[in-house]
Amino acid sequence: MTRNLFDEPMRRRELLQGGAGLALALGLAGCGVGEEGATSDKKQTERVVKAEPDGDLVYFNWSQYMEPKLIKAFEKRYGVKVRESNFDSMQGMMAKLRSGNRYDVIFPSSEWVDRLRKANQLLRIDPEQVPNASTVYDYFAKPWYDPQADHTIPYALYATGIIYRKDKVEMTGSWNDIGLDTARGRAYLLDDYQEVLGAGNLVNGAELNETDEAAVAKAKQWALDLKPTLRGFSTEDVTNMVNGNAWVHHGWNGDVVNIRNQVKRPENYSFVKCSEGIPLGTDCFAIPANAEHPGTALTFINFILDPENASKNIEYMGYPMPYEGPDATFAALVKDDPEIDVTIEDLENGQQFANLGAAGRRTWDRAWTEIKAA
Amino acid sequence: MTDADRFAGRFLIPGGLWLLIFFAIPFVIVIALSFGTPGELGGAVYGWYPENYSRAFDPIFVPVLARSVGYAVATVALCLLLGYPVAYYIALFGGRRKHLLIALVVLPFFVNYLVRTYAWAALLSDEGIVNGALGLNEPIRFLNTPWAVIGGLVYGYLAFMILPVYAALDRMDPALIEAGKDLYGSNWSTFWHVTWPTTFQGVLAGTVLVFLPAVGDFVSAQLLGGPGTYMVGNLIQQQFFGAENWPFGAALTVLMMAFLFVWMVLYLRSAARAAREATA
Amino acid sequence: MRWLRVYLGVFFLFLFAPILLVVVFSFNSQRSLQNFDGLSLEWYRAFFENESLRGSLIASLQIAVVTMLIGTLLGTLLAFGLVRARTRWAGTANVLMLVPLVTPEIVAGVSAFLLFTQVGMQLSLATITLAHITFSISYVTVVVRARLAALNPEVEQAAMDLGATRLETLRLVVLPALWPAVLAAALLVFALSFDDFVLSFFTTGESPQPLPVRIWSAIRFGVTPTINAIGTLMLAISAIAIALAVALPRLLGRRESGLGVLLGRDEA
Repeated sequence: MTRNLFDEPMRRRELLQGGAGLALALGLAGCGVGEEGATSDKKQTERVVKAEPDGDLVYFNWSQYMEPKLIKAFEKRYGVKVRESNFDSMQGMMAKLRSGNRYDVIFPSSEWVDRLRKANQLLRIDPEQVPNASTVYDYFAKPWYDPQADHTIPYALYATGIIYRKDKVEMTGSWNDIGLDTARGRAYLLDDYQEVLGAGNLVNGAELNETDEAAVAKAKQWALDLKPTLRGFSTEDVTNMVNGNAWVHHGWNGDVVNIRNQVKRPENYSFVKCSEGIPLGTDCFAIPANAEHPGTALTFINFILDPENASKNIEYMGYPMPYEGPDATFAALVKDDPEIDVTIEDLENGQQFANLGAAGRRTWDRAWTEIKAA
Repeated sequence: MTDADRFAGRFLIPGGLWLLIFFAIPFVIVIALSFGTPGELGGAVYGWYPENYSRAFDPIFVPVLARSVGYAVATVALCLLLGYPVAYYIALFGGRRKHLLIALVVLPFFVNYLVRTYAWAALLSDEGIVNGALGLNEPIRFLNTPWAVIGGLVYGYLAFMILPVYAALDRMDPALIEAGKDLYGSNWSTFWHVTWPTTFQGVLAGTVLVFLPAVGDFVSAQLLGGPGTYMVGNLIQQQFFGAENWPFGAALTVLMMAFLFVWMVLYLRSAARAAREATA
Repeated sequence: MRWLRVYLGVFFLFLFAPILLVVVFSFNSQRSLQNFDGLSLEWYRAFFENESLRGSLIASLQIAVVTMLIGTLLGTLLAFGLVRARTRWAGTANVLMLVPLVTPEIVAGVSAFLLFTQVGMQLSLATITLAHITFSISYVTVVVRARLAALNPEVEQAAMDLGATRLETLRLVVLPALWPAVLAAALLVFALSFDDFVLSFFTTGESPQPLPVRIWSAIRFGVTPTINAIGTLMLAISAIAIALAVALPRLLGRRESGLGVLLGRDEA
């Protein structure tokens, strides 16, 4: 069966062939063949699109971040199907986008919008096509990540903190609560490099977006020190809290509402904003430049922003949508639990994740890989 | 080269060409990319950045590699320990139901690997059936531990050990065992001096078929493991779908393949030698 | 060997425990994975009513069928070449064929992923199929080759002496003797492709995605018991494929079973 395998002539031939292959590889490397499609032609982003259904919607979002009943209602109303995929981190979203998959509507957070927009990856949105977005707060007429406000439409505001079981743990209100002894083995950090390193920076008194090597090393150390007590890294804070695996979870404010909707004893679940600093952000609707059905996407966005629908959505996911009208629903939710509130003032004064630029990102990236691998 | 050879030689072309284009050439691309650097939006730019390789040897990654090899070795050992007796019994004592029994052994492996692993996660979880049956105050933490991952790997790859060993045992002439018993007396002696050496090639094949894929596995670690059970497969997967560092991921892939290639070559040589000796 | 028998019993218990869990709880009327609350086909209904999951099932089947047809063809041809051609290329081809068998799937996935993205091909069912075919060829070759090597060359020689050309001999003598192996290999490939996860994960486009990739997403993002229904269905389909591989040769008049062929027994 394996005769002649290691005959001398074979060896030489294979060596030659291997050598040729390697030479080809190094040749490619040496020539510095460039990256394809990183920043595409601006023309594609300037397509004129009307808000009418032009096919099924390929929808790409965090899981459990939009009321499923609304999606079904949209399918029914416009006779199209919504093909849903989920990502579990912004990086995961970027990886899928980068590998050429085509989506119609995505939900990047602000700093990622900045990146995508600068690389001409987002379709220009004509505000007239989304009339329900006209009630948006003034802050979003000129957000830092989309100065002309013509490539995204705000979806929700969020703040990062710690979700915890009131009946199991006593919190001191610090990021270090994740390492509390009482929660040993039932604690999670978010599986997101920005959130973890950002929190690490805040704990050490640095700016949220600090990219200086020494500061990042300290943030990395904070996470490494926590690692032995963690049960895992996960962005599925809702799932982990609901099934009891987590008593303390690095997570987002609105998810507490979602959790409470699913458990037998909602009073046991709470959220705390940490004293060292609170990362804030905006998640936005965006349409990739290579979307196949942008018309349906625009229709969808307008549909979700219809005041009644938006209210229903807020009740499901627990995050404020920055529009006059639906915000009353959120205010009602927050009345009993001010901890989960995120206001425009918070946004204006608080720390938001910024686009770190290639070099900064590389520093954070390396630190993150080391945290995961250790 | 005879006529027959020439005729048959042509048959090598379709399959060979396909493998060349879709298997060999992608390796070249992986190697080329491993010298690149991440692009602006996450892809890769070719160039000459050998630091991807030096970074792979950074002490912080050594535990990951060591762990992967360690888990894989444990997996092979357990597969052998658990699987050999099964193959032995079925081959030698299965009688007419041999085929049915071996089919039963193999059947679970046609449930999707993910579903099987997730089923174990459900069985062993804190609220799962096993803990429920034990009824203790504090549920035993089976999951998110290294043994859970190894268990998952064993369960995932057991068939790859059992089948070659069974084939070797089945091929063995039972008269050999009879003769061995006469010579050596005890069952154990017979096994050690007769059965084991005869089936060794099968064991070796099983070892290779389990060890190599297990080193690169990431599903078990992801579904059953915790933050401390990161394997090199998880690291590579993370570079492509988490961190945006395809070149580093490619470098890790190349290194892993190089490491495995050594074992592959050793195995092929041993198999070739055994085949030569068998026909000598 | 009583203890060996006991061991076998315990072994089968552990082997089938998760399978039983999956199958039994796929009929559970409750969401729970701990409490069985009465029979119900609810999850199967949910699966079949979900157009997206149906699409994934069809996609998985399509990929598996195409992979089976092309992979078997290429692998059989390759096997013939490896066994019969005493040329220098045969050795290289042999190595090229063996390496995929021991390549960890993640390496395979990464290479395929990079190949398609760097060449500019959009990830889709086609890319998954291409990758599957690539890694199925070796399985076919190994199975068919074992059978081919065991064939008695004298029959072919006799045929040629009687005036048949090489091609005719192939068609009239070799193939008929070979087909249980080819069939077994084909169905094996079908089952492997249908079940494959890692390779599909790296080469899948957005929609439709094959079932195992959907299962992965479901596990990561909040499990529903529909996974159990999907798992059971996949088990049934794969089991049927394997059963056919084993039984068909027997049913159609051969003495040996497909299982023997798969395991490389030298029965002719």
